[in-house]
Amino acid sequence: MSIFAAAFGFGLVSMSVIAIAAVGFTMQFGITNMINLAYGQVMISSAYVAYYINRAGITIWVGMIAGAFFGAAFSFLLNRLVYAPFQRKGTSYLGMVIVSLAVSLMIANLLLPIVGYFSVSYSEHAGSLVRLGDIVLTNNQIAIIALSVAVMLGIHALLRYTRLGKAMRATAANPTLARNCGIPTQRVIDMVWLITGALCGLAGVVAALNSDSFVISSGAGFLITALAAAVLGGAGQPYGAMIGAVIIGLVTELSAAAWSPEYKEVVAFGILVLVMVLRPQGLLAKRGALAAAG
Amino acid sequence: MKTFHARMRFGSAACSLAVLMLAACGGGSSGGGLGSGDLLVGVLAPFSGADAGLGPAYYAACLAAAPAINNNGGVGGRQVKCQQFDTRGEPADAAPAASAMVAGNSNLMAVVGCTSDEASAVAPIVDKAHIPMFCMTGQSEFNKTNLKYFHRLVPADIYDAYAMVGWALYGPSPAPFHKAALVFGNDIGSQAFVDPATNAFTKLGGQVKNFPITLGASDYRTEVTQVIAYKPDVIFTEALGSAGTFLGEYKTLNGGTVTPFIGTSATIDPQWFKQVSDAIGVDNLVKNYGGVDLGYTFSGPAYTEFQTNLNAAAAQFADAPKYKQRGSTLHLYDGIIMSALAMVATNSHDPTVYNSKIKEIANGVSGATVVHTYKEGVDALKANKSIKFEGAGGANSFDDHNNSVAGYVLVKYDATGGEVKVQELTPDQTAKISQAGGI
Repeated sequence: MSIFAAAFGFGLVSMSVIAIAAVGFTMQFGITNMINLAYGQVMISSAYVAYYINRAGITIWVGMIAGAFFGAAFSFLLNRLVYAPFQRKGTSYLGMVIVSLAVSLMIANLLLPIVGYFSVSYSEHAGSLVRLGDIVLTNNQIAIIALSVAVMLGIHALLRYTRLGKAMRATAANPTLARNCGIPTQRVIDMVWLITGALCGLAGVVAALNSDSFVISSGAGFLITALAAAVLGGAGQPYGAMIGAVIIGLVTELSAAAWSPEYKEVVAFGILVLVMVLRPQGLLAKRGALAAAG
Repeated sequence: MKTFHARMRFGSAACSLAVLMLAACGGGSSGGGLGSGDLLVGVLAPFSGADAGLGPAYYAACLAAAPAINNNGGVGGRQVKCQQFDTRGEPADAAPAASAMVAGNSNLMAVVGCTSDEASAVAPIVDKAHIPMFCMTGQSEFNKTNLKYFHRLVPADIYDAYAMVGWALYGPSPAPFHKAALVFGNDIGSQAFVDPATNAFTKLGGQVKNFPITLGASDYRTEVTQVIAYKPDVIFTEALGSAGTFLGEYKTLNGGTVTPFIGTSATIDPQWFKQVSDAIGVDNLVKNYGGVDLGYTFSGPAYTEFQTNLNAAAAQFADAPKYKQRGSTLHLYDGIIMSALAMVATNSHDPTVYNSKIKEIANGVSGATVVHTYKEGVDALKANKSIKFEGAGGANSFDDHNNSVAGYVLVKYDATGGEVKVQELTPDQTAKISQAGGI
């Protein structure tokens, strides 16, 4: 068995999980101008919602839909009740980052007494193994890859071929001009929080399913990888986040196979640093979907 | 009359002097007397972050120990309280937390917790403040520590490592094993198991390879694939918090079967059991798991009182009763009670006075009365007897560096998560492994 082929297969799964999270995160930033550091906590909260549904004997695939709905509602309310009032008061960009960090800590500490300190697992059979040469994947992992591809195509279609997508791009490019042109930017922003929140919730459940067990502190890890992929691809650029996810997902697993697993994250973040040095704006900063609508 | 007045003056002066002396004894800075006001036990441990599961077990120990003391007169009437100080499992957060704890609480009687995550950072701070501490770290740097206020009621990790090697070589069938994969976190605390286990196992004819993993990662599939490719007949592991993920993926990628695995004493834990049984199934866990432990009896008057108080602590901390068979909870409970008894024995609230008494109470001196509870201890002290405390976690034996070492037993889990003793390592076997390990 080639360890590299196997690692490539695992990399495909990792990048699929990261892509869903990173695209949601970067769209949120690109359109609402908000670096939401509570994103990882919303992900893990959604994962727990799915866990409780799954524990009631309902399949995790239903739990996944519920997690996406929960993520959407939670993110929408988070913006309406916390972020938007601060933004209306003219809180600085850095101030909003600190607010989101505070929200993140509050969610984590509120969750702790509810869900407990310990790892939990979905009671969902991983499914039989599928072998493609030396690549070995479970049915669940193949479903995750397929789901991720479908979500990416859906996001592409939304941004390119729908009125809402065009309105989002216009709002991202210049909210004042968009408003003056008759685009209901507030409603667009609400929709963005709902959509990206749904992606966030979906990503949380998918990440938890991909990991055989998860714990409340997993949220911080989810955020770091999503953030890394988003920054690598160019902050605010959904297609860039997709590319960032591919690089982070594959490099971590392949470097683990080639070198040592304990340094796989070092290698991935080393590449991130290198890209930031050579191209600070990220890989797709000027050609992304949320660049000026045209 | 003159004589009468002279006697009165002398009497007044003597009374005044006596009052002054008593006042000085009662609460002065000299350390004499037990003082007044509440006493505080600082639970300095991770309550958030990747190791957030550790702190609650220690907090539960304190919540159980406090009523054992308070309901029996307190420490000279002083009530014991417990307070959490969150280290987040990170030295960078732990050092300021320890400094703030020490600076802000002049009534600290003991500190419990300080895991391998933060012990190196916080132990010197607590020691400098002259507060007795009971640390749950297995790090070898404390094997010969010079910190006078440091106490360790669990063996160093090297002994856990040797006991695991003992399981692999001398345990019941399917042992003996010959090819081991070591799967521990890549942090300094977890890797402390690796060298002693490698030395001992290879010198006794085994083959071994280390597969360090990053604890808390979302998946370990590449690492698992590498371990499977190595084809071990046994896995030594701890991987707290990540064992479920690792072993679940191992089972999936290994065609649904799990290689026998031997866990450290920290894996004898209800949460670890739940996490791993959720991931690989109870049957697989019961069949393939072997663990090493310190031979707790979970019975006797000390344990009964511990369990009663732990159940009562549920009113303050709902999860407390879950820790009824957790070694660290038992030991820290004992540590707090020994500290209180040391204060009573020395009639001092000054740690520089009562600290050394803790070791004497734990080890006992010749002719000491064995006591199992705080009440028994206080009664014996009042009767001017010297005491040896054998608490819920059993007898202790501190060495010159305040490390308490006890013997190991080999255990398994039953289907409900209960611990089942399967064998005891003989002194010869233990000596052979220790010699091979080079310690």
